[in-house]
This record gives sequence, C-alpha cells and structure tokens, in this order.
Amino acid sequence: MSDLRSAIENAGPGRRKWPWISAGVAVLLVVTGIAYAATRGGGAAPGAAGGGEPVRGGTLQFALIDYQRSPDPQWGTNYAESLIGNNITDKLTWQDPKTGEITPWLAESWEYNKDLTEFTFHLRKDVTFSDGARFDAAAVKANFDQYVRGDKALGVNPNGATLLPGYIETLTPDDFTAVVRFAKPLASFLQASAFTANAQPGFLSPATLRLSAKERTDPRKVIGTGPFVYESWQEQAKTVLVKRAGYNWSPPALGHKGEAYLDRVVFNTIPEASVRTGSLTSGTIDATLDVGTTDEKPLAAQGYKIIYRGVSGTAIFFNFNSQLFPTNDIAVRRAIQAGWDREAVRKTVLTDSYSVATSVLAPSVPGYVDYGGTILKFDPDKARRILDEAGWAPGADGIRVKDGKRLEVKLLGINNLVVNKPAYESIQQDLKKIGIDLQLTVVPIPDYTANQAKAKTDWNITAANRSRNDPAVLNLQYGPQLGNGAYVTRDSVGVDLDEVTQTLGRLELTLDPQTRKQYAKAAQDLLLDKYALVNPVYNPSQVIAHAPSVHGIIFDAQSRNHFVDAWKSNGK
Amino acid sequence: MLRYIALKVGRAVFVVWAAFTLTFVLLFVLPADPVDLLFDPAELNAIPPEVRRQVADNYGFNQPVLLQYLDRLGHALRGDFGESVQSGRPVTAAILDMLPSTLALASGALVLALLIAFAVAFVATSTRQEWLRNLLEALPSGAVSVPVFLSGILMLQVFSFRLGWFPAFGDQGASSLVLPLITLAIPVSGPIAQLLVRSFATEFRSGYVTTSWAKGATRGRIVAGDVFRNASLPALTIAGITFGNLIAGSVITETVFARKGLGRMTQTAINTLDVPLVQGIVVLVAVTFATINLVVDLIYPLLDPRLRATLAVPAPGPS
Repeated sequence: MSDLRSAIENAGPGRRKWPWISAGVAVLLVVTGIAYAATRGGGAAPGAAGGGEPVRGGTLQFALIDYQRSPDPQWGTNYAESLIGNNITDKLTWQDPKTGEITPWLAESWEYNKDLTEFTFHLRKDVTFSDGARFDAAAVKANFDQYVRGDKALGVNPNGATLLPGYIETLTPDDFTAVVRFAKPLASFLQASAFTANAQPGFLSPATLRLSAKERTDPRKVIGTGPFVYESWQEQAKTVLVKRAGYNWSPPALGHKGEAYLDRVVFNTIPEASVRTGSLTSGTIDATLDVGTTDEKPLAAQGYKIIYRGVSGTAIFFNFNSQLFPTNDIAVRRAIQAGWDREAVRKTVLTDSYSVATSVLAPSVPGYVDYGGTILKFDPDKARRILDEAGWAPGADGIRVKDGKRLEVKLLGINNLVVNKPAYESIQQDLKKIGIDLQLTVVPIPDYTANQAKAKTDWNITAANRSRNDPAVLNLQYGPQLGNGAYVTRDSVGVDLDEVTQTLGRLELTLDPQTRKQYAKAAQDLLLDKYALVNPVYNPSQVIAHAPSVHGIIFDAQSRNHFVDAWKSNGK
Repeated sequence: MLRYIALKVGRAVFVVWAAFTLTFVLLFVLPADPVDLLFDPAELNAIPPEVRRQVADNYGFNQPVLLQYLDRLGHALRGDFGESVQSGRPVTAAILDMLPSTLALASGALVLALLIAFAVAFVATSTRQEWLRNLLEALPSGAVSVPVFLSGILMLQVFSFRLGWFPAFGDQGASSLVLPLITLAIPVSGPIAQLLVRSFATEFRSGYVTTSWAKGATRGRIVAGDVFRNASLPALTIAGITFGNLIAGSVITETVFARKGLGRMTQTAINTLDVPLVQGIVVLVAVTFATINLVVDLIYPLLDPRLRATLAVPAPGPS
C-alpha cells in the first residue's frame, strides 16, 4: 500500500501531535460531564403532599399506554376510549365500586316489572348537554335506539347490541320518564345502565346522534352531559378535556357538588413504560396509568402514590374446552385446578395490587364466593391421585399417558397484560411435576382473535378475562347459548347441558339481592366444582402511580377513572 | 433515452400496483377477521350473527373478495382509500394528518445522517492518525448495530429525565424533535458512512489524486476538492435502502418518543387489521419508494457522463 501518494505525503515535515491529544481530552471531559449530570441531576423528589380542602383549577397531566382512536365513547373499544368517554358523558345510574349497589345518577329513581323486561327510569330534570340541548326521555330513546341498532346510513355500528341483548324499544310516557323494554328478562340491564367500560352507554346530544361516524371523528362535535368537554384531540398523541361550566349532576354517591375541580385534564399517550415512569419522576406528568409490576415498588419508594383497583368481572380464567381431548375428562380439569402453586405465583409474578383468584368472579362482584380454601387450593397430591384414579399413568418422560395418548393440554392466551405469560409459565412448571404437559401459546390480541375462531376444535384452554361488575357475567361468558366459554354441548361427556343453561340463565331472572346471591353461588359451584369448567388464575388490576400532590382520582365499578373529584394541591 | 424513461416509469407503476395487490391479498389470507377485532376478545363467542353481519356490511367486508378488490382499486386510483375501520376517519385525511410529523422527522434525520456520514468519511480520509482512522471506520457498523429502541431510551434517560433539556414525549415544537432526530439519524447514517468511507478511500488512491499531490496540493484540499465529488455519487444508489431504514426506524422512534406519525399508525393499523388504512399507507410508501428510485435512475445519467454515453449508443445518428 506504500504507494507513490504516501511517499509524497510522508516526504513533508511531520505535524505536531498535541492537537489530537487535547481534542481527546476535551471529548473525555464532555462525556464525563454528561455522565456526571446524568447520575446526579434530575430525580427530584415529588412535590409536597398537602391534603385537606380541595383546590380548584389546574391541569392534570395524565399518561396511559393506549390512544383514543375515536372520540365517540359509544364506539370506543380500548381503555383510553372508555376512560375518556366516562369523563365527557354520564350514565343513567352509578354502580358503587365497593358494594356493587346501583345508585342514582342521571336517573333519580327507577322501577322494573316482575319479569324484568321493562325498566322505568325517572330522570333528573336539570341536566343539559354541553350544546345546550335538554337531557330528557327523548334523548334516552334516541341514544339507546342508535346504540343498539346502529345506523347504516350514518355508518354507525350497533355498538350496544351485545350489552343490551333483546332490546325492543324505549317508551317516553312523559318528558322525564323513559321505559326501556326487552324481549327477554334481563336483570343485568340495571348494571348495564351504569356500565362504564368499552362501548359504553354514555349519552350523546341528539345533535351528535344525527352525525355520521365520519363526522363524529371531530371531537368538538361529540357532545355529552359529562363534567368535562373536549378541547382538542390529536390522534396518537393526546386528548385534552376542559371542565364543563355549570356541571352539577355528578353521582350523589360520590358526594361531589358542582363543577369538576380541575380546569383541564390532558391524556398523554406514551407507549413506552420507562418513558411513562421517567416522565412521572421528572415531573412532566402528574399521574400515569399502566404502571408495570416492576415499577410499582421503586415509584412507591420515591414517594409516589400507587392506587389500584381490581378489574371487575371474571378473574383471568383458563376456560376448559369440555368436548376436546383431554380436557373432556373432568379428572384432567380438576387436576389442573388443584395442581398449581398459588403462593408461588403471588410471590414471584404478582404485586400487592394484584391477587390470586379465589373464584371465577372477582371479589368486587356482588355474589362472589371464596373457593380459595377448597376447590382452588394447591394440593399436588390430590391432583396426582385424581389423575391416577382416572387411569392417567406416568409415561417415560414424566408426562402421563392414557390409552397411548400423552396428557398434552394446549392453551391459547393473550399477552396484553404483562403478568399473563409469567403466571402461565409458573403454572406450566407446577403441572409438569404432576405429569401434565401444558403447552402455552400466548399471543397479541389479533392473533388470539384469529385463533379463537377455531377454539372449539383446536384449543383445550382459552385464557382471557371479561370486565363486567355483575354476576350475570357468568351467563354471558359461559351460557351455552351465549359465550359458551367451556364449549358445553350435548357432546360434552358428563356435563348436563340443560342444567348449565338453566343455572347460569337464572342470573338474568331476578334482581332480589338475596335470591341473586344464591343463584350466583349456584353458578360458581357449577362452574368450579360440579363440572370444573374453569380454572381461575389471578385478578388483574388497573394501577395508577401519581404525585402526592394529586388527589381524588376515582376508580369506578368497572375500574375506569373519573376526574370530576380530582384536584392538585398547588392548583396549577 | 425516451425508451429508458418509459421503462423506468413503467417499473415504478408496477411496483405500486403490486404493493396494493399484495397487501390486499395478505390481509385477506390472514386468519383474523377485521370485524372480530372491533369487539372485546372475551366477547367473541357471544356476538349475535346478525350484529356481525351488520358490522361487516358497514365496511363492505361481506361482498365477494374480487369485487372488494376491484372496488378498492377503482377508488384508490382516484385517491380514495375509504374509511379506517377502527376510527371511522377517511384514510387519506388520517394519513395527511400524520404525514407532516413523520416528514419532519424523516427528512431532518436524513440531513443529519448525511452530515454525520460525510463528517466520518472526511475525517477518516483526511486524518493521518492511524488509531483515529480505525476508530472512525468502526463507527458505521457500530451505529447500525445499536438498536434504535435502546439508544432512544438512553437518550431520554440522560437528556430528558436527568438533565431536563428536551421534552420526553409529544410534539411541542422544535425542541421535541432534537432527540428523535438524533436517535433516528444514527442507524440511518451507518450504511451511508460505510459506503462513503470505502469510496473515499478508493478514490484517494487513484491516479488523479497522486497527480494533485505531485502538484503540491494539501491533504485537506485534495479530499475536499477532488475526492469528495467523485466519491459521493455512490451514496445516491443506496437512497432506496436509506428510505427503508428511515421508515423502519421511524416506527420505533415514534413509539419511544410518543410522537404521532405514520410509523406508529402503520403498527396499529396492522395490529388491528385495519384493511383500508394499511392499504393507504402501503401505497403511499410504495409510491415514495418508486419515485425515489425513479428519480435516482433518471438523474444518474445527468451526473455520470459515462452512463449518458452508454444510453446514447443504441441510437447513433448516421454520420
């Protein structure tokens, strides 16, 4: 390579070396400086707590993982959409998140017929939409009609068809009385009238209902009666709500009078977990939802408040396919129920915000019964005995065999919650010890949805959960005519189809608290004990971390957040 | 020459049509039903068939596949890609909404990447320090190997959370563009720098450079005056690859920095099988890609006299 060019160049006088050395030193200094700043700077302690009287004014910067794809709350099918929808619209009733009791909101009182096919709501008379229109029985009718039936001409989907099955019509005997009629008894409608999760029945102004789906993508045209109204919506980035002047009808059960305390709530979409927590600790945001299990402790240690509520409805469940080998054998189903160590999952996978499931229902659902000490107790010896008695003999590789077929159980799950996969893996290890080969396929929602279509013939277990704070969720999820989560048919060996249909169906037939409690217990006994159709795993939670200066963020019965009562100590 | 242009344009049109058709086929071959994705996964078994039908009807998903294809193609030719299944917004409007932020990010990152690449090539060629040259030559492969995700998070940790110099998320003017630009520019600059370093070195050893030396030119003058012009041309040929890197990098950059943009929109659209939206985006990307390659093909003869000569050969006029 020592060519002519180099020879010419090297013939010249050499240059001094010190500029290179000094440049090197300078670079080193800059790097050290930044590193020093990085380790020492920032990480300021969160502001002082300050309690006592709520302070008016200020902007709450809130972060979450999802973004609102459509400002229309009746459409929304993700968490951001239902969360924001709850703050711009109101519902007929408010379900107490602690007791599950249905309490007044836009309806002051209600009654229903004996068959539970007609529900009469007496509405408040002082409620208006933020465009000035009056909230009355006609508005209820217009909303429910479109919510359930959709509107082809406007491109509006039948968003509420699954929540209000058998909806016939809404009658308006006078301006402030709405009678909602159903074809079949629907006890769960009372809870549905308070429903705050995805595709919720929040009331929109008649003017909004006349707009097409396309026009409703302009947030300023989406008008509700809620404590906040849209200021702006930037797809993917953020939604800004401002308080509604003159709002005075929050649920009496909340004890909040008048307008919201905050001037503004900004919902910032931040997909990355470390960016959400970093933004919280650096003070850019005041509160964040979707706190990862590994972030809870460090944030709490730094003085941030962790608040949470279990997601109401079912626990994360393993639904057994009752007609597919080998989960068509009740012995296998029972062995799985007893064969995994709850304590190990609690210690290694869950935080204090989550809990191990003790029934198929979450503890907050009225009618919940605790099976933690009986059916759902870790008892590997019992599991082994059940399998032995059923003729499952240990094979060469430790996995049991019967009639030449290995005890392989195929599970389809969703990875949308970070806890799912580690929890399932813990169960997988335990089951292996008793001779069951649990094969996990834990995938994103679209893949789950695609596979779910073949669940009846391809999957022994589908793992998911359903959010609905009412015991009738069991009928929706497992009723053979409805969700049929365990695929119970006439072909299911040892399962009485009619008994399952009737036992679960009864939950829609009464609203008497005592009778309903009995029915709920019977339904859980049937699903967990008698036919062992489900193995509940854990109760997921919605977890928020917020600065100590933030107060009054409410978790409702569906674990969605309301900000009408939230305030900041500094009022800024 | 005209034949050359027609050939290149024809190829570009074919690429765009093929992209449109391929996405359509892929989305229909995928086992998931876009209608199902509008519902809660736990609810799927309980959706009454008539509701499912009504929703599918709303989007035209229940027509014969071929009819859907022709219908979409016909509308697409007029720039209408229909409405997003998930948000109900017209696809064109949704894309146009996101385009400026992605364009600002991508073009800014491209300029920065070029600056970095040329700086690396310049210094690596001009320096007489062996260790510095070795170090600089190692940089491009290093830049490509560092995941955008990691460098983005690191940069946020230092400059946003610790030092507080730049906002951590969102689009708040120029200051929120700095960190994403750097994050995206680093991997994009890698291949360009690698190519430039090599072609700078090749040119540096060629005969005309030796002549300049002999005439007494300094090293800096030779690199800037002689080598630079001849060595930069090859960088144009990888414009397509560079564009691809920018698109791929922007998905991650936009996610880490919570910026709105086409990259994130693409990700969501694919995750939710939003057929119209995916098609709109793919066609846009294909058009851009084809245009870039077309422009490169067309201006290359202008820049390189040798290529012009070759093109002129098939049609020599009678003497």
